[in-house]
Amino acid sequence: MKAVICEDVWMSYNTFFGGSKLALKGVSLEIDEGEIFGILGPNAAGKTTLISILSTLLIPDRGKVRILGMDAFKEIKKVRERINISSGLNLPWSLSVHECLKFFSLAYGISDEDRIENLIESFELSDFRNIEFEELSTGNKQKLSLAKTFINDPDLVFLDEPTTGLDPDVARKIRKKIMEIHEERNITIVLTTHYMAEAEQLCDRIVFLNKGKIIAEGTQKELKKIIGAKDVIVIEFSSKPDSVIFSKIREAENIYGFDYRDGEILLYVDDSEKRIKEVLGILNPYWDKIRKISMEEATLEDVFLELAKRG
Amino acid sequence: MFSLNLQREARKTLAFSYKNIIMTKRNFFTIFEMLFWPLVSLFSVGLMGFYLEIAENKLAFILIGAISLSVIQLAQLDVTYVLLFDVWSKSLKYTFATPSSFYNMIIGSWLVGILRGFVAFLALSIFSILIFDFDLTKLPLPELILFLFGLFFAAMLIGMAACILMLIFGRRAEIAAWTLTAIIMLICGIYYPVSVLPESVRLFALLIPVTHFLEFFRTFYGFPSTFSNPLIIGFIQSFVYFVVFILLSEWSLKRARKNGMIIKLSE
Repeated sequence: MKAVICEDVWMSYNTFFGGSKLALKGVSLEIDEGEIFGILGPNAAGKTTLISILSTLLIPDRGKVRILGMDAFKEIKKVRERINISSGLNLPWSLSVHECLKFFSLAYGISDEDRIENLIESFELSDFRNIEFEELSTGNKQKLSLAKTFINDPDLVFLDEPTTGLDPDVARKIRKKIMEIHEERNITIVLTTHYMAEAEQLCDRIVFLNKGKIIAEGTQKELKKIIGAKDVIVIEFSSKPDSVIFSKIREAENIYGFDYRDGEILLYVDDSEKRIKEVLGILNPYWDKIRKISMEEATLEDVFLELAKRG
Repeated sequence: MFSLNLQREARKTLAFSYKNIIMTKRNFFTIFEMLFWPLVSLFSVGLMGFYLEIAENKLAFILIGAISLSVIQLAQLDVTYVLLFDVWSKSLKYTFATPSSFYNMIIGSWLVGILRGFVAFLALSIFSILIFDFDLTKLPLPELILFLFGLFFAAMLIGMAACILMLIFGRRAEIAAWTLTAIIMLICGIYYPVSVLPESVRLFALLIPVTHFLEFFRTFYGFPSTFSNPLIIGFIQSFVYFVVFILLSEWSLKRARKNGMIIKLSE
């Protein structure tokens, strides 16, 4: 069974001046049960709006959404019993870790002290069980938000940027925890993230959202194929090259795309070993400005940058 | 199955009582508002009555008003706090993402409101008896319980109205939490009979259940009521408003999910 079926979803918001702004433009997607599904995209792409619709917090202007086989707008209560969401670092400020989990447990109609204690232990919050939410560190707030997400033993969870603002060590631990829980319980996880490495590590499938539209969807391999690139040739310059080099790259037949950032030109190619000769030919007049040339496998970040550029 | 569902619903309701009790316990201001302001209000009104040398039954008239205002305001605030605490914590979306309904929220927080309101009622009554010779025993216990229930019911309705306004108008309507009771008490004759109000306002007063509950109480102190059975009229009106507010809350919640108000109130 599909965990999520989303058909032609449109959503608009009223603006301050009486107009309306389209946040989602005909989004359709399907997510299999047990999958970790990533929703990626730049700021204001519509990721949080989409996740809010899927978690029944928003009703779209039009479109159909089925969650775990149920109509998300007609069977809200039943849907909510089987899903949960973590989005942002805000929970009732005066409640301690234990009180917060107890409140949400009761709000889901559950009274299970063992589950609360297990979650506190499992998310390494034992030392903070009596500390109020507003006094927790950002990392512990995020851990509590995630612990809350599993309070009702959900079949489907929505994680909206679960590691944003965390230091690398805590972020790594949280990613590990997400993987562990997914493996233990085989639950469906839908996550949005800005971090491509996180999506590469966690997600089975990914959609790229841009300006409210899905611009690409598939596994990491499939997405890399979409931009035609398997490899990236990275050329590091000591000073910015002139614009002629960019025209030559654009004209090159076997370079599918390129990007210039922080003194580096990234060339997306199907096979770096096969195309290096051609690239070296283009670079010939610039040898004195080149510091380093390296060949790497294309990452999701490369795909993301290329897709965002194509719009 | 039915009993299991009932248990789940009871837990969901108690979740909001639990949250309100803890938030109240941790917030010094909410304890302050339970005793300090009601006592200040009672003393200022009572002492003014002494100074003006008003008759004993008239002093009782205004003391009933002062006590009722505090009880309603406290119980109503608790109902409104169920939404406000989440708005201030920016965690409203998490509450609305649970399977708990708006009624679980309202009833759960109302129970805490009844508790706080009752504590305030006891404190104010004791001070009124000790300092102003207010004779509370003129009202038999069953009638006193009915009167209090009427006040608490009215408080729930005002709290619901404030929550509905917040779901419709967002943070701009937060002020309704503190002003609605004051406006309603002004119209329904807190320190004076509604007969002193202008004709058009008096009509409004007669549409407010608290007017009838106050009139019911005051009949025991020698003040005749406009209607023959004010208590029944008060409860019938309350029930009608309850049904109307249920429909309005359904509508405002759906609207808030359509226009993103729940998300906006969580930012």
